[in-house]
Amino acid sequence: MARKALVRLIRNRRTCLDFSYDVNANFTIRLAQLFSCLNKSGEKNKKEVRGGIQCTVSADERNVCFDLLHPQVIFEQEGIFIHSSTESAEDQDSLTAGLLRILDKDGDILVEYKPMEDTVDPSNMLCAGKDSSSVMEWTQCTGDRGHRLVEHQLSYETEWDMLNTVSFKRKQSTSGEGWHCSLDRSKGAFSFNVGELKSIMVKTEGWSRLVFRLREDSGMPALHFHQGGSEAFLDALRRFVHLVQSPNDESCLIVSSQNKALSQSFENLLDDATFGLVQKFKNDPYTTTLGGFSKVTNYIFDAFRGPELLHQQRPAEEVADLLSEVIPGLEVNQQEEPGFEVITRIDLGPRPEVRRREPVSAEDWTEHMDIEGKVQNVSHLKELIFKGGLCHAVRKEAWKFLLGYFPWDSTRDERKSLQKRKTDEYFRMKLQWKSVSEEQERRNSRLRDYRSLIEKDVNRTDRTNKFYEGPDNPGLILLHDILMTYCMYDFDLGYVQGMSDLLSPILYVMENEVDTFWCFVSFMDQMHQNFEEQMQGMKTQLIQLGTLLQLLDLSFWNYLESQDSGYLYFCFRWLLIRFKRELSFQDVLRLWEVMWTGLPCQNFHLLVCCAILDSEKQKIVEENYGFNEILKHINELSMKLDIEEILLKAEAICWQIESCKVCICMSHFILFSIHLPPLLSGAGSRGQQSEQSTPDLPLPAHLLQFLWGNPKANSVHKNNEQNR
Amino acid sequence: MAAKSSLLKVILLGDGGVGKSSLMNRYVTNKFDAHLFHTIGVEFLNKDLEVDGHLVTMQIWDTAGQERFRSLRTPFYRGSDCCLLTFSVDDSQSFLNLANWKKEFIYYADVKEPESFPFVVLGNKVDVTERQVSTEDAQRWCRDNGNHPYYETSAKDATNVAAAFEEAVRRVLAVEERGEHLIPTDTVNLHRKPRSSATCC
Repeated sequence: MARKALVRLIRNRRTCLDFSYDVNANFTIRLAQLFSCLNKSGEKNKKEVRGGIQCTVSADERNVCFDLLHPQVIFEQEGIFIHSSTESAEDQDSLTAGLLRILDKDGDILVEYKPMEDTVDPSNMLCAGKDSSSVMEWTQCTGDRGHRLVEHQLSYETEWDMLNTVSFKRKQSTSGEGWHCSLDRSKGAFSFNVGELKSIMVKTEGWSRLVFRLREDSGMPALHFHQGGSEAFLDALRRFVHLVQSPNDESCLIVSSQNKALSQSFENLLDDATFGLVQKFKNDPYTTTLGGFSKVTNYIFDAFRGPELLHQQRPAEEVADLLSEVIPGLEVNQQEEPGFEVITRIDLGPRPEVRRREPVSAEDWTEHMDIEGKVQNVSHLKELIFKGGLCHAVRKEAWKFLLGYFPWDSTRDERKSLQKRKTDEYFRMKLQWKSVSEEQERRNSRLRDYRSLIEKDVNRTDRTNKFYEGPDNPGLILLHDILMTYCMYDFDLGYVQGMSDLLSPILYVMENEVDTFWCFVSFMDQMHQNFEEQMQGMKTQLIQLGTLLQLLDLSFWNYLESQDSGYLYFCFRWLLIRFKRELSFQDVLRLWEVMWTGLPCQNFHLLVCCAILDSEKQKIVEENYGFNEILKHINELSMKLDIEEILLKAEAICWQIESCKVCICMSHFILFSIHLPPLLSGAGSRGQQSEQSTPDLPLPAHLLQFLWGNPKANSVHKNNEQNR
Repeated sequence: MAAKSSLLKVILLGDGGVGKSSLMNRYVTNKFDAHLFHTIGVEFLNKDLEVDGHLVTMQIWDTAGQERFRSLRTPFYRGSDCCLLTFSVDDSQSFLNLANWKKEFIYYADVKEPESFPFVVLGNKVDVTERQVSTEDAQRWCRDNGNHPYYETSAKDATNVAAAFEEAVRRVLAVEERGEHLIPTDTVNLHRKPRSSATCC
């Protein structure tokens, strides 16, 4: 018997699209059916732009790819009412519901209001109707009347929390209304540039209503926020205009002439277009969509990772079959819609128990060397290091491999000649800054600034550690010289605060200037982006961490968001210097060598963040910590953390996510082929490649590439899984 | 409006290594550690004090001073009641950069009236014998740039540290008292507690 599943996509807390699929059908067929809905015209290679999402269909009809375009919708809320003939609240019959938006049109910020009749025009929908021959069914929104809207809000908010954000945007109005003030009085629709806005009257009687006054003094109808949201709207607006309370009338917000730069808020750190999208999470369904994608698409990682693994391990049919089983963690409700299964909740399942091992001893290490000094069975060795770390005696040698200074497949002789070459190279660069005269330096402000800050910072790096304590400690001179030489190695980057923290443990282990330098160079290769001018690495990681947190515990994530802490600022120090200030010195050495194995996934440090937060979230929520308290609490965790406990938890979280088949399946059906390269970075050529070479599974493999993107790391991780 | 124990947000700005964290720690915990880590990210400490009969809780924010971290620290400027512009008397560059710090603060803190916003200038490390910035130069700068109060401090030997922070409180209270004549008393102070400033639902 064919079993059908119904997937309900919810937009703005309303049912936007229900579609069903035959769970036994081949995935490709299902996708083709869906895509025929999407593009009824059947044109090949068609590109359609719909309100910020570009849908591209490949010639073989197998790849449907949604690209996010320039952020257009900054704020959007439906169910905003105009009381047409009167402003009286009692006059229920004359209500007109509509959609209020703030749009970014090529840099012009517009406020737009459209009555519902317009906005739910079927011709504006991405899918134009039903295809009776298809298993996919498109159900049009039903919630365009206010009272139903409330019902939906209550009934779906919790049960659909994993699904409720996938949506399709409607077509942008292209009626040449220009992007200045326009007011169609017959329908009540209007739009204006925020630059035209003079003031806003805010009245609250049971609900809030706003009246806009423009510079040209054309009267606007009052907008009634029956379901709330006026504050969110004003907050969104405040990002573009400066609103101040009128001294004469507190219900009047006056637009101050002072230009309000975006950079005055948190957007400052997170100011590129991509991150701008994520930021608007709360108010903007378009970006909520993005967040929703990321929640589920995270799980596209494994099955679709690379061609070889794909064909060997998870053929499309098998993946499809997974849904026809009753999968643990998938809550299926058959009562609500007879004949359909409604997926109502996703559970990640239990966290597996993991164990750690003893550190790798000097004996273990030498056992892995052959007669020429080549390392044997590297993946096994890495796994041992991941599971237990290294005895201190081994570190001096092993870190050079882990950091990439020594190639794993090099012989002892090759390494000797490498070191010799690298020694010459080091001293050549060292001589460069050493030979800059005082006079030269006076004309070189950048070098002067680097030197000044390096001098200050090495004097306050790990000074309580025996290795660096006391006046005139030779370790400080080495830290200084290596950092100065690094400025010569990478003058564009130069010295950025935090680097001395990354260097100090390496020097402590190596006890050798040249080796330390080159190991530091390798480490900096990994960390470079954290320190760059735009701090792209930090932005990317904070986004990725947010994605993971949403996935692991949505309610905690929502709490953070409610406290304006969704930007995860409090994790900045953790990420910038990889927990260097959070852990005792010895624990830092342990954590770093574990991370450098690249196991069990890339960016394991993000899971370390998750593990720490997992232990703190209860306190944060129970104590109802606000923005400041969260920051303070996290800052004060420093030196109170237990590394072994954290590593156990981080690894368990990794396996927990990895084993979540449900999400992989869900992502097939809900997300088709969402393509978000800029958001989850690293989605360059590899992602393209996997799309092209895996026609049966046209899902880009790279959405969780930040964890499982590296095929090498992954094959080892597979071994690891088997050994567990 | 500013009665009872109100919360004052004070932010320390200045070049890396001028002693922002040390000043904060000296004031709040009365300790000094010359080898304290340089600040990564943002930190803050609270201190309760009484100034001229006013009980206040001062929330002192300390940031990373390097240019590169601007995008991290600037979001925390908003809502500040006072800005402590800090330089080190043994580092002329840090003195020359005061103007930039002030500009950055006014821009990102969204200060409505920069002329009347309370700044206090701190010349730290006066315990050091080799000065690069003279008291006269510093005083002149303060006079020419908005008549800011100037304190020469040493976090190391605690010179003038409490006095400088208390001056910050006095300046904030003075601004608020002046403001009270202009603003009706029942208005919500949006500036102080942004979250409670609900103007509508």
